[in-house]
Amino acid sequence: MKQFADWLSTTSPSVFIQEHNTWAIPAIQSIHIVGIALVMGSVLMIDLRILGWAGADQTLRQTTSRFGPWLTGSLWLMLATGILMVIGEPVRELITFSFWLKMTLVAIGTLVAVMFQRMLRRHERQWEETLVHRSSIKALAIGTFLVWAFIIVLGRLIAYDHIWGSWSPAVTQ
Amino acid sequence: MDIHTLLGSLEGSGLATRIRDSLFIFPLLESIHVIGLTLVFGTILILDLRLLGVASTGRSVQRIASEILTWTWAAFAVTAGTGVLMFITNAAVYYDNVFFRAKAALLVLAGVNMVAFEFTGRRTMHTWDRARSAPPAARAAAVLSLIIWVAVIVAGRMIGFTTSRAAGVTPPPADVNFEDLFGAPADSGNAPAAPSPGK
Repeated sequence: MKQFADWLSTTSPSVFIQEHNTWAIPAIQSIHIVGIALVMGSVLMIDLRILGWAGADQTLRQTTSRFGPWLTGSLWLMLATGILMVIGEPVRELITFSFWLKMTLVAIGTLVAVMFQRMLRRHERQWEETLVHRSSIKALAIGTFLVWAFIIVLGRLIAYDHIWGSWSPAVTQ
Repeated sequence: MDIHTLLGSLEGSGLATRIRDSLFIFPLLESIHVIGLTLVFGTILILDLRLLGVASTGRSVQRIASEILTWTWAAFAVTAGTGVLMFITNAAVYYDNVFFRAKAALLVLAGVNMVAFEFTGRRTMHTWDRARSAPPAARAAAVLSLIIWVAVIVAGRMIGFTTSRAAGVTPPPADVNFEDLFGAPADSGNAPAAPSPGK
């Protein structure tokens, strides 16, 4: 991985970002933050509907079709800006424990979101009438929100990977 | 009292020292700050896009506002609280930082914009509550709100990039074993440098 990161940092897109790092890095990071704000807003509203704390006058399906496309779009935006950040600073991103744990949670969070929308479409009545009232589904809603919140924490901790001690490849190297 | 005396006493306070002495607290404050601001911006965006007739157009503005603004304010309280705690660790440097000042000014602008909306668009809201998009004054407030909040995010990120450089923080030498730092007593003689926001 270190070899790959070192190689990536010599490629021309990476060199371009490094040469313009005073504005390019903060600009990409700011767009990335706007993206996660869209994710958090959408996830919050869908979860609040599942919990029955907001939007109870709309069906679950109506709520997910309101926020689902924004969630999907912002996840693509996060992927694009995330890739740019890895290209711009390969060693800072890839040689960290925080980054890989974050990617694992992003995969889980995305999988849950995709599965949820699929199952809702397939078994709409069951979801609207019984599943949404189950406490296990409500717990899952809270759990999903916490996963996205922890993804934010890990994103920030990439800059502080040494706090993981010997788990951090940046420290052990 | 002179502002620099005040900043100095903030930096010297026990709370600020406690945060500086910890490897974990500052990064966690930053993380919670980001979680808070994503919820502030994410929920405001829902209302702004509704006012502009871009999203949630089938729903009354009043209903959306009453549903989300409680969460917006709660998230804002968390974001402001963690912001203050980060500020006191290195108050004088932040106070002099141009992006910090810009961010403070932008937050005031966001407040002015909100109050202006209360006195213009909101007054007549019952007449356009269910309309696809709001009247010009309210739409202008929505556009301004979007621009101001994105600028707040950019300024906030720039504070992290400029204060760590201004503080002259150098990376630790290669032979530092971070494991040792965990167990190091707080009064080990070498005064810890102010934490610098991670880039």
